Amino acid sequence: MSWNAVRTAVICAILIVLHYTVRPLLAWNTSIDFLIIALMFGAVRMRPGLAALFGFALGLVSDSLSPGAFGAAALGMSTVGFGASWLKAVFFADNLPLNGFFIFLGKWIFDLIFVVVGHRMHGAELLMQIVVWSSLSAAMTAVAGVLAIALLRPLMEVRTA
Amino acid sequence: MARATRLSSRVDFLLFIGCLIAAAVALVLPLQMRDPLAEVLRRSVVAPLVNLQSNAERWHAAWQLSEERTARLDSAVMRGFNAVALQSENDELRKLLGLGARLHTGFVPAEAVHNAVREDVVTTLTLTAGTRAGIKVYSPVVSPEGVVGLVQTADPSISIAILFSHPDFRASAMSGDGTSFGIVYPHLQQSLGGTGEYLLELRGVPFRTTLPAGTMIYTSGLGGTFPRGIPIGSVLRELKTAEGWTRTYLLQPSVNPAKVNSVMVLTSQRSTQKVDNVWQMVARIDSATRSVASSGDSLVRRAAADSARRAAADSLHRVQAARPATDSAARADSVRRSAAAQTDSAARARAESDSARAARAARREAARRDSIRRDSIRRDSVRRDSIRRDTVRRDTTARRDSARRDTTTHRR
Repeated sequence: MSWNAVRTAVICAILIVLHYTVRPLLAWNTSIDFLIIALMFGAVRMRPGLAALFGFALGLVSDSLSPGAFGAAALGMSTVGFGASWLKAVFFADNLPLNGFFIFLGKWIFDLIFVVVGHRMHGAELLMQIVVWSSLSAAMTAVAGVLAIALLRPLMEVRTA
Repeated sequence: MARATRLSSRVDFLLFIGCLIAAAVALVLPLQMRDPLAEVLRRSVVAPLVNLQSNAERWHAAWQLSEERTARLDSAVMRGFNAVALQSENDELRKLLGLGARLHTGFVPAEAVHNAVREDVVTTLTLTAGTRAGIKVYSPVVSPEGVVGLVQTADPSISIAILFSHPDFRASAMSGDGTSFGIVYPHLQQSLGGTGEYLLELRGVPFRTTLPAGTMIYTSGLGGTFPRGIPIGSVLRELKTAEGWTRTYLLQPSVNPAKVNSVMVLTSQRSTQKVDNVWQMVARIDSATRSVASSGDSLVRRAAADSARRAAADSLHRVQAARPATDSAARADSVRRSAAAQTDSAARARAESDSARAARAARREAARRDSIRRDSIRRDSVRRDSIRRDTVRRDTTARRDSARRDTTTHRR
């Protein structure tokens, strides 16, 4: 296992821990999804298949705490992880605003899949959730993700001998 | 190389498809199978995260609770502050109402508005009543505690009063018993020094009169501005002055001008009448209230002492009643112990009475010895006196005999 992989794993672990510690403290309507940030952060440094597996694992962890829609988060995160890793291979650049947009898109797509597949809402409520709350939550997550990437960038810089 | 890349892409895609299928299977799993699976995950991999989340939620709840408590406490403190202010205002208004009731007629109630400019020593007040209400220049301004000042400027709807702290204020004053008179001035040395303390001077008191500290000083009614009998203040101490023929005293005013919010302005009709009964009645009511409160306190204290005594007696009765309930052996032991204790106590009592008797006898013996000694001393002195008397007698008879003998020889 390379040094980069270890660092990525540590940072993902920190972000996962933040998801279960900071999010309940904030208790906002439009909460920050640190799991998505961890997924995107890890996925762009993995192969698409591994990223999908990572997303699936994270999704199962998330689903285990909400058994009503068991599998929905796994499906959403697998898709997002695979997509992020595949897009990184296509046109992903090391640019903070682009990273932010990427996280926003990832979170919004995840919410869309989660809400639609999980059959949690219907009609206007579903529309409201997707258009308003998911967008706001995605924006919050994007801001937090950009901050996290900016803070953790020194840690992730590749050492040149 | 291209083949390897294609293979790895295919593996990735297969992995993704596998994940999707697994997620879809998890989604369509029946509830009976879904729950145990989620439970296994919660108890194994997710357990530390669940702990973290529950702790975070607990912290959040505690934080919210503390915030709520702080908010509640803050609002309670605010209510408390308001209550204190309202109570003091209420007290002041009640006193003013009482004063109004005692004065019956000849007064104008007014709000005292303090100047917007902050002063260390308040010297003037704006009153919310003017000439339309019957106020004139030099009308006395009083409060339930005593003299506040006098009206300097009277407009139709408002008037301006100078307080006793103003340099132009003067009032003719006397002691409570009416034996010493003087003129009250503001004590400018301190009040203008910015200490914020309001003091007065009673000048021109005859040198033969001494006023002890605490003596109440009232308006004397001389001069015609203030009617007789309004409290001005109490004597603090005598001031040393250059004048040798009069005394000057420092007074503590009855009224604190900084706290005056409502006042009464006495009209000219009232100024000519005596008002000494009005404020003396207040003092009497105050002392009566204090005595009622103290008697209530003593009653409560006595009741508490009675209840304590009763409780002690009850517990003693209970202990005595509990004694026969013990078993026979214990009873026998206790009887034996009590008998032994009784014999011990009887012996002790006997010994004590013996010792007391002995002590009494010793005391008696000592007293007897003392009296004997005293008697013997007296007897000795008597004896000595008699001896002295005897010797005197003997001397005189000898002298008389020799004189007789001399006269007979002369005659011869």
